[in-house]
Parts: sequence; structure tokens; C-alpha cells
Amino acid sequence: MGYGILSFGAYVPSLRLDRKSVFEAVGWAAPNLKGLASGERSVANWDEDAITMAVESGLDCLANTEFTVPHVCMVSTTFPFSDRSNSGLVADALNLQRSIATEDFGGSRRAGTSALARALANSESTLMIASDCREAQPGSTQEMTYGHGSACVLLGEGKPIAEFLSSASEHEDLIDQYRASGIEYDYSLEERWVREEGWLKIAPDAMQGAALKAGIELGDVDHFVIHGNGGAVAAVAKKLGLDRSRFPDDLRATCGDTGVAHPFLMLSNALSNAGAGEIIMLVGFGQGVDALLIKTTDLLSAVRRGRGTERFMNRRRSTGNYTFYLSLRERVSLDFGLRAERDNRTSLSAFYRKRRDINSMLGGRCSSCDALQYPSSVICVSCGTSDSQVEESLAGLTGRVKSVTEDWLAYTPSPPYIYGNIEFEGGANVMLEFTDFEPGSVSTGDEVRLAFRVKDRDEKRKFHRYFWKPAPLTRS
Amino acid sequence: MASGIRDKVAIIGMGCTRFGERWDCGPEELMIEAFSEALVDSGVSRDEIEMAWLGLFFQEQSAGKSGLPLSMALRLPNIPVTRVENMCATGTEALRGAVYAVAAGACDIAMAVGIEKLKDTGYPGLPERSKGTFDDLWLPNATAPGAFAQLASAYQAKHRCDPVDLKRAMAHISVKSHDNGLLNPKAHLRRAITEEQAMNAPMIAAPLGLYDCCGVSDGAACAIVTSVEKAKEMGIKDMITVKAMQLAPSNGFEMSTTDWDGSYLQTTRIAAARAYKEADISNPVEQLDMTEVHDCFSITELVVMEDLGLCEEGGAIKAVLDGKFDKDGEVPCQIDGGLKCFGHPIGASGLRMAYEIYLQLQGKAGERQLENPSMGLTHNLGGHPFRNVASVSVFGLHSA
Repeated sequence: MGYGILSFGAYVPSLRLDRKSVFEAVGWAAPNLKGLASGERSVANWDEDAITMAVESGLDCLANTEFTVPHVCMVSTTFPFSDRSNSGLVADALNLQRSIATEDFGGSRRAGTSALARALANSESTLMIASDCREAQPGSTQEMTYGHGSACVLLGEGKPIAEFLSSASEHEDLIDQYRASGIEYDYSLEERWVREEGWLKIAPDAMQGAALKAGIELGDVDHFVIHGNGGAVAAVAKKLGLDRSRFPDDLRATCGDTGVAHPFLMLSNALSNAGAGEIIMLVGFGQGVDALLIKTTDLLSAVRRGRGTERFMNRRRSTGNYTFYLSLRERVSLDFGLRAERDNRTSLSAFYRKRRDINSMLGGRCSSCDALQYPSSVICVSCGTSDSQVEESLAGLTGRVKSVTEDWLAYTPSPPYIYGNIEFEGGANVMLEFTDFEPGSVSTGDEVRLAFRVKDRDEKRKFHRYFWKPAPLTRS
Repeated sequence: MASGIRDKVAIIGMGCTRFGERWDCGPEELMIEAFSEALVDSGVSRDEIEMAWLGLFFQEQSAGKSGLPLSMALRLPNIPVTRVENMCATGTEALRGAVYAVAAGACDIAMAVGIEKLKDTGYPGLPERSKGTFDDLWLPNATAPGAFAQLASAYQAKHRCDPVDLKRAMAHISVKSHDNGLLNPKAHLRRAITEEQAMNAPMIAAPLGLYDCCGVSDGAACAIVTSVEKAKEMGIKDMITVKAMQLAPSNGFEMSTTDWDGSYLQTTRIAAARAYKEADISNPVEQLDMTEVHDCFSITELVVMEDLGLCEEGGAIKAVLDGKFDKDGEVPCQIDGGLKCFGHPIGASGLRMAYEIYLQLQGKAGERQLENPSMGLTHNLGGHPFRNVASVSVFGLHSA
């Protein structure tokens, strides 16, 4: 027993964009992108955002843990809401207990490592989820190098898989890139300047400072998890004389830079491969630097089974359709016809009454006849007993497709609109909209899991409503 | 002890507009067109009608709420007019109101008008509206074809049928209705199609293609009813009476439990059993001369043949392909073209079905006249298979 990292989780959207196809589409205008036109990047589906990805990595992290989470914090630079607790919605979707503190952190792509350093130093118990869904201007370098994703760690007293050693931070207002409030895209400066004046002058001090505090040498570190582009990281490694074999995959080739989530995603990847008693250095960069040192324990191998990046990196569907990507991410506005004009106004008082039904997918199990039903109701659908239902979430249940269609008439940003009746273990049947299925890839009898997604967007009032959708089952 | 509605109420006049894309007509003109035909047919005067029921589903985009649109359009003398809405069973519900009023002795002559003006949406298919403040938060934004495609999906899974056989039977249903519609001057779609065309048509909601879907139409229909006693006083010969009118809405069984396998229409089975009891029908295949069922989609008609007991469960593909429900089959279905080709102005459809039976029983169906029919059934299915309102009604010669 002790304090430390108790669990970790990750999520990368299944959709991947082939970078070559981006270059084929925009290379005529941006020939400089040729050098980046290899590998693929992760792309959030139209119904994914920083919140839904945070829920996914949170579920991955909390699976098979018994720890009662007293605090949830979400870190992002792309919160769907500027004023509505994003972490609160995540806590609801994770069906955590109601007496919970929630907190949103942002303002910098280093916000995650800074929050983590503070929480670890103060032995705080928290589920810390970093999630980013940064958009990039078509034809830009960022479009090639960015990806979408989320990762998290659970901190608290228990059986830690890694213990905190030390951290050191530096602040310098070196503006390598920035995004002003209300603006969609990042503005980035020349990489060579950032490397010479930023990385090489700021990072070594913090890294060495953290090692000094922990009473170790940088040469004792087994895994360097550094959130920076390849050139910068290589320069730092060279300057400090670090062994490059100790730098795990930065996931840039297969996923792209997921912003504030990326240090956590890389950490998750490192934890997926690290042995017991190994030292990991985590470095976040952006107007300064955070360097953290943790040491794994022999409990790691048991906890990491079935979770982390590998599970999601292997679950992929690749597209070379650049226009499809642009439309999903609303970078172009295709004509979806008059049906797309539907008014998706949400009655927020009605939503409030049913918030747990929607956010946590709480149905009702009849205490008289044991029938599970969604939505819950005053009178049991099976035995007719009144006020007999006890709340039970369907969110973690495996479902089976009872009937399904691919509807080419209904509006969806990603036709066809696939939906059908799902039967859940334990007896409930629910008609639901599906997500992440390719046309022709789902049929009756298939097993599905539920994913928390955007259900509808209200373009007039800029409100996104969320719900659970059947998605392809990922066996861990 | 209640004795049901059988042979208590007579239909003495009916009217029905031409269905279709009636760009030149609004709800007012359509209601007047149907009403005028029914009034002449009945021989009564407008002011003899004592109560009226108006069936209208999408009020938001046509005539608006309440009974006022009918009262205003027909300049009725301030008689009670009640608007009813029960999705695709709306027209039948209007008739049920009028029939029950007469049966209760509340009035001698009552009227039902069903109307829908769908073609002011600006796009094909049915308009999409809010499903309610809570349901909008979780139910899919399903279209009607998508919701009914679920039936095909589950039917195929349950009976393990070859999808090509199922699609061929669905195509047969549509070809048959197009052939029938060709002979109906009031039908929306009047052209023959081939089985190949139906099977290869563009997909709307898999496995439903374009020709598996009914027309979206404008139209109105009207019925004037009175008691059997009053009809006798009026000297009406070959009187057509209501034998049964039953309604069964879902209660959550289908959508919320795993006891329903999705391959059949629970409410249709319940409404049919009640209607057969009310009409004293023990063998529907032998006793019914025709049916007008809710063929919003070909798969619906196929499944409904089983749910109405017109063929055995799992046997509809064979029965359909054998021609059992064709014009010259054992129990002709959609002799007027059905929703498929006569068209589907929602609020009018139930009354349109009754209109066809009314014409057939009187031998007034022109080129599509069946040989001496004496009893027919109408069926509506409002909503979607997992949550719906089913109505089953039987009309026949008073002597039958």
C-alpha cells in the first residue's frame, strides 16, 4: 500500500487519415508537406470531441478498479464548453458517485504535466484525464502532425503501479505556438528557433533539476517520455548524452500529436511496455517545461493487462478520403440537404430531470421481477409493479444487435445513419443510433459495446447533446 | 355487458380525393373535395350532420391544431368537431369517433374527415419533427423506412431466410400494388413496375429500396355514418355496416424487453384478435374477401399477412410469391394500390382504406372490381415497429 499512480487509461479514435492522401490533395499548394506525407494520424469521428474521448480513456482506466474516485479533473485546450463543467459531464458519464469534486484545467498544452506534477507532489487523489481534439487548417503542417486522443492516470492511496520521485518546472514566455481565445487554429513559429532557443536552453535545466531532486542521474532513467517534435527531442537527447533506445515510440507516425493528451498518451504507452522498478521521466513543453520522475512497481504488469494505448492503436480503420475527413471535422460544409435543417433544440429542464438517464445511461432494474429496462419508468414494463425500479447503468454492458438498418435518407454527417434494436445482457432492449461502423460491417447477432458520443449538435444555439451509442466491441 | 360495435352503425356516404402531389390544393380544398363526394353519395344535407371528427397528423405544416380547420373550411353550423391524432391510424381514429358517437346514440348522423397535406415540406419523404423533449435526447433520428427496415432485419434473422428470397417477395408485393394502382384513377402512382426494377432500385434504408416504400401524398377522405335503424328509415339498400373497430397501442413491451424478437407486430396481432372476435370471424382467410393493410413499406405488408393470420408464421414469403394476396389470389390485398400506389396522406389513409372496401362491397370499384365481395378488413400501423399504434377494422354488407 502507498500513494502513487494506481491505474492508467488511453483512447485513440479508430479513424485514421492516411497522410499521403492529404499531400495528394493539398501538395499542389503546400509542396513543403511532402516530407510529412507518411504514416497516418488519428481523427475523431464527427460525434467525438475532447469530452467523449476523455470518457473513453476514463473507462479504460477505471475498468476493474475498486478505487472510489473523490476528484475528477479534465485537462484540455479544446473543451467543448467554455462555461459548463466539462469534467462534471465526464464524471457523470463514468457514473461516479455524486459527492465528487470536478475541475477543468487548460490554457496550455503543458497544463496536463503541470497539473500532474502538482497532484503527485501533494499526494492528491484524482482521476486526471487529458484530452484534446485540436483542429488544423487544411493544408497546414498541423493537419499532418496533429492527432486526436485522450489518456489518463488515476492517483491515490492503494496499490500503486508507479510512485512519484520528483518534479521540476521552468517558465519562459517563449511563444513557439499559440492559439488566441475564440480562434480555431494554432499559430506556429519556425521549428529551428524553438529548438535552439527553447528546447535546448529550457528543457535540460528542468530535466536535470528533477533528477537532482530524486537523487539520481539522467543516465538512471529507463524511459524518456518527452512531448516534443522529433527534431527537438533528438537535439535534447544529444545535448544531454541520453541513450536513444530509452525513448519509447512517440506515436507520431501512427497517431499524431494529441496536444495536451500526448504526454499522458506516451506515458500510457511507456507503462504498457515498462518493467518493474523502472524510472520514467515525463516532460511537457510549452512556455516552459515540466519534468516529472516516477518509478514503476511490480504491480504494474497485473494492472496494465488489457488497458492502455495498444488496445486502441490496434483498433483502426484507415481512410484516404481527404474530403471525408474535412467534412467530418467541419472543415468544409457539404450540402446534406433539407433534412439537415432539423432543429435540435434541447429542453434543458427536461434534460435536467433525466440527466442521469442520459449522461450515465441509468436504466431501472425492477426489484420485483428483476427486469432491466431503459429508460426506467414508474411502472415496470414486465410485471407492472410501481416504483420498484433501482437505478442501474447499461453503459458497461455488452449488447447484441437484434435488428439494424443503414438508412440513406436520414441526416447524419457520416452517411448512412445506422441504427437498430440492441438487446443487453440482463434483459433490456433499446433502439439506438450506432457509431464507428462502416457500411456493411454490422449485422444481426453482432456484439457491441456502448460509447459516449455527441448525439446531436444544435447549430443555432451551439449546444451539443451527448448520449450512448453501440460501437464495435474491442476485446481486451 | 358491452356487445361491441358489430352491425350497429352503417356507412351511408364516402368520398376520397385523388391522392398525389396536389401542388394546387391546400388542406381546405382537399377536405372540401372529399366531403363534397361523400355528401352527394350519402344523400343527406350538410346541416343534417350533427357531429364531426377530423383526423390530421402533421398539423404543424398544414392546417394547424384543433377541429377548427374542418369547421371553418366546410362552414359547419357550429356542430362539435373534434380533432384526433394517432399517427398513421389517425384516419381510422376519426372514423371510430364518428361511429362510436352514433352507436352511443349521441347523434343520428356523424362524419369523419381525414386529411394530410404532406407536399409542402420541400423535400421527399416525411418531415422530421421533435419526438418529445425526453425522446429527442436518446432515440435515434430514425426515418420511417429505417424504422421499418428493422422488421426485415429481424424477420430475416428469426426465420433464417435467404435475403434474396425476402427481397423478391417484397418486390412481388410492390409489383402487385403497382399493377393494382394502374387501374385506380385516384391513385398517386399509376405505372407498372417489374420485379427487377424493384429489386435493383436505389437503397433507401437497407434492405428497403425505393420501390419498397409507399408514396408520400396529399389527400383527404370522408365518411358519413348513421345508425342501422336510421339507415333503414332512409331506405338504404345493401347497407354497409361496421363489423369491428379495434385499436392496440404499444405499452413498452416491444421497445423495452427482450421478449419481442422484432420480427412481427405485436399490436397488430392483438388488434386483429379483438377485431375478429368483435366481427365474429373465426377463419379470416375464408371470411375476408379483401384486405387493405398498412403497406407503408413492402416488408410491413409481408409481416402483417402473418400477424393478421392470413398465412402461417414464417410462411409469408411463400404465400406472397404464390400470389395468395394478388388481385386474383385467395385474399386480395391493396386492390386499390394500397399506401404504396394509392398514396399515403397519413390522416386520410385509414378512411381511404374504408373507402375502397365501401366501393367494392357496392360493386362500384370500376376496372378493379372484385367478384361479389361481402367483407373486408382495414389495418393501420402508426409509429414504428418497436412502438406503435395498430388498428384493425372490418366492414361488410349488413347481410354478411
